[in-house]
Amino acid sequence: MFYRLAGVYHTTYAGERKLWPVPADRWQALGVLALGLLAPLLVGDLYLSSYLLPWLVWTAAALSLTLLMGVAGQLHFGFAAVMAIGAYTAIHLTRFGVPFEIALLGAGLMAAAIGSLFGAAALRVKGLYLVMATLAMQYLVDWTIINVPAISGGAQATLQAPEVSFLGAPMTNDTVQYYGALLWAAFLTVFIMNIKRSAFGRALVAVRDKDFAAAVIGVNVFRYKLLAFFTSSFLGGVSGAVLAFCYYEAVTPEQFSFDVSIQFVAMVLVGGLGSVIGAYLGAAFVLLLPIVLTNLVAGLADSGLLTISQNLQSHIPLMAYGALIIAFLLFEPLGLAKIYDNLRNYFRVWPFQHTRN
Amino acid sequence: MINRRGVLRSATAAIAAAAFAVSGFAGQALAQDKQPITFALLQDFTGVYTFVSNEYNQGQQDYIKMVNATGGVKGHPIELIVRDTGNEPQRGIEAYNRAVEEGAVLVDFLSTPVSRAMVPRVLEDEVVMITALHGRGDASDGQTFPYVFPMMATYWSQASVLAKYIEEHMGGLEGKKIAHVFIDSPFGREPLPILRELAERKGFEVKAFPYPSPGNEQSATWSDVRRWGPDHVTIWGAGGGQPVSIRTAIRNGISPKDILSVVWLARTDMRQVGFEAAKGVKRFAATATGRDTPVIQKIMETVIEKGNGTGDMENVGNVYYNIGVATMAASVQAAEHAIENYGAPVTGPKLKKGFEDIENFNAQGLMPPITITEKDHQGGGYGRVSMWTGDGWEPQTDWITAYQDIVWEEIEENAKQFEQGN
Repeated sequence: MFYRLAGVYHTTYAGERKLWPVPADRWQALGVLALGLLAPLLVGDLYLSSYLLPWLVWTAAALSLTLLMGVAGQLHFGFAAVMAIGAYTAIHLTRFGVPFEIALLGAGLMAAAIGSLFGAAALRVKGLYLVMATLAMQYLVDWTIINVPAISGGAQATLQAPEVSFLGAPMTNDTVQYYGALLWAAFLTVFIMNIKRSAFGRALVAVRDKDFAAAVIGVNVFRYKLLAFFTSSFLGGVSGAVLAFCYYEAVTPEQFSFDVSIQFVAMVLVGGLGSVIGAYLGAAFVLLLPIVLTNLVAGLADSGLLTISQNLQSHIPLMAYGALIIAFLLFEPLGLAKIYDNLRNYFRVWPFQHTRN
Repeated sequence: MINRRGVLRSATAAIAAAAFAVSGFAGQALAQDKQPITFALLQDFTGVYTFVSNEYNQGQQDYIKMVNATGGVKGHPIELIVRDTGNEPQRGIEAYNRAVEEGAVLVDFLSTPVSRAMVPRVLEDEVVMITALHGRGDASDGQTFPYVFPMMATYWSQASVLAKYIEEHMGGLEGKKIAHVFIDSPFGREPLPILRELAERKGFEVKAFPYPSPGNEQSATWSDVRRWGPDHVTIWGAGGGQPVSIRTAIRNGISPKDILSVVWLARTDMRQVGFEAAKGVKRFAATATGRDTPVIQKIMETVIEKGNGTGDMENVGNVYYNIGVATMAASVQAAEHAIENYGAPVTGPKLKKGFEDIENFNAQGLMPPITITEKDHQGGGYGRVSMWTGDGWEPQTDWITAYQDIVWEEIEENAKQFEQGN
């Protein structure tokens, strides 16, 4: 019924290789984009600045990480540190008077340089050992930021994002910041989707599935592993800068702590490794669900339906959140993206389920 | 048909009458109660501040219940919004935006990372943020941070009070060696400039000994401390790291009598060290401990004994509970000034001025007398040193303040950096 494939004829190779070959998917993507563009008119300030905006920024970060973890199969437990490098670089550059557009590139390059340095460990180690190498990066970057006042901004360890403008639009009001984040998330969405169908993406997938098998069929594993770290760190660095300028407006070391790295890994895993829509769903799950649950429980408690201590009231959302993670992993280990895919498949043949093979 | 229409009509009339009655009652109810004042306590109940936030928040809620039970602030009840932020800045931002939309005029995050992230926002939105014993120390400069109120001794002032205590009660500072052992974070480093400046002036030696976060293993650090052989040790940590510091210090032959701690040291920490073993440890105290003060007595009478207490009754009178009570006592006092001097309804700017009208307020002996001015949002930097006696904290001094000239140099220097974007 929906997502119908019947009657869709591909008469050219280009048509068949479109990002969204099925018209229904295309319309759906356009519809979501339109909603995203109209969001400042549709939702109030609170939901725009506290929900949609961070969701887009975190999604951008999750997309950058899913390229490395999902597509190239290299585990990274220090992605917050990569973003920290980007955020601090961008802020220091703009404070020196560098235009914001160039500072964003600088943020990406610096993050990519340092990220690939630690990524070089991936050339020798795999799996859990690589996790250790990236963890080392997290701690070293944290330590450096805290212990070098020139980076962290002195005793209070806070640096405020200078007022900048992006392509002529001042990045100071919520709406411009929102569109900035939307632009970056939309760009990354199309970018990652395109990488996945390019030779580069296929090489990464080959490396992920078995690196020596990839070497046998002529993929230069050394080069592609490094490229994966470089690209992902570059995107992560820019995402960090976007996070600092569009959302926090100031950076402190805690915003890029180890916990945040774990949250990114969780987003990618819960969403579905290597999936673009999974990054959106995973970011929503990890970032927004705790907030929604907290408000829900607090609302129940305030209305007198739930008379419990403050302590328990604060922990119930955590329990529910944990239970949900376990439930999702039990029912669909491939992540939220797979649940979406199942729904899509269901509606594709609805109401003629018997036609599904 | 006519019949049915008649039924309909009478039903409509009945509904209209009911609606009228309801709105009438609501109108009456509104006329009786004055407009509530909303405070938002958006704290970390599940992250790293759990060691303090439960007791602290319990004290705050109990105090507000007491105020509401005894007529509110000049007839205005106080409404509290209490939410968990998990010490995550992005959750703090959401909770803050929501609270402001619901009309909050005062916010308290009790989390340094969240408060730091919120400074530019509260300055822009003109909402009062209290940062008692957390947040930026330089926010004491009311001219640079008009809406931020540390209202209690900053970490800088705490260090200066401890130094003063050593000077006056532990045989002077000159020629001494003082080890500053701290969690390796901006918070742990904060008092160092003050100690170094004092060391230069008073002719003693200071050496910094950081231990890695979260501080549940500090042996390497303390063996360095032992080798250096300090006369006194200041410990600067919070939560789980504190008892570990004291235990490891004792194991390294440092007498508990020579240990002086930042404000974050409570009965639970002493239980972990061992009540007897920890005898003699000294600590900066921002408020009185125990239930003897009139304010706590009144809370007992009007809230706790009526069964309306917020949490475990055992916590009443504990260190962090009383700090929570003190923050709300000062805030309510500010709201009272705001209504008295600038009229209801209380808004952010009026509450700010209300805070700056606070003069010699000590919450009937619960806290040192604080005076907040447009320039000084710290309130004077008072505190006292109390000692663990084996079953409780015994004040060793009166409320004192020390070397505020050095503290203010630091405050102004940092505030200037904030204006430049740090």
